[in-house]
Amino acid sequence: MKNKIKIHRAIKNITQEDLAKEINVSRQTINAMEANKYVPSTVLALKIANCFNAKVEDIFELDEND
Amino acid sequence: MKSKLLLANKFKKIGWIVLIPSFILGIISLYSNAEIKWLDAKVFSILPELSIGKPNKYFQLIEANLTNTILGILCIIGALLVSFSKEKIEDEYIAEIRLNALMWSVLINYIILILAFLLIYDFGFFTVTIFNMYTVPIIFIIKFHYSLYQSSKQMSSEK
Repeated sequence: MKNKIKIHRAIKNITQEDLAKEINVSRQTINAMEANKYVPSTVLALKIANCFNAKVEDIFELDEND
Repeated sequence: MKSKLLLANKFKKIGWIVLIPSFILGIISLYSNAEIKWLDAKVFSILPELSIGKPNKYFQLIEANLTNTILGILCIIGALLVSFSKEKIEDEYIAEIRLNALMWSVLINYIILILAFLLIYDFGFFTVTIFNMYTVPIIFIIKFHYSLYQSSKQMSSEK
């Protein structure tokens, strides 16, 4: 799964740390998602989308391996 | 996603305080066969003597030294406290690292046991099985913290 967390973070101008605090996860988790090393649960994906005022589909997208 | 089996983060520190000295003392006592004299006591044993092919005795009071008993129990309690305490921020990614480390440790534990079956015989085998009792939590702790360290190392390069 691909994601655009980094882009949305840049638009909102917040750090990994800020985003992590906002959605109550560790900074490692944000970093691992941005590096495509971790696929978040539906709950976490919804929280991230919420934080960016976007839809889940705007941020996460299936890739050819899924 | 909350695991009911995990303790609060503060228990981790207590776990380390219990684990490190009892682990070191346990290894020393295993190699030197040293026993602390005042830990001689009369204890209740379910199976005081195990002899194969002869009738066994059950449920008796016997004289024993409690050095290994106490060190062994403290070692397990310490390792369990370290293993079963939450990180400062426990989230689903940490839970995945945790599960991965647990699977690793069980796998390596049995690989060690298979190698011991193949390569070590007689009394030496029993020494290995003593170590083997502790390999699951010890390898779990090493693998879990190494994975956490790696993921935080990757992080430091990015903002």
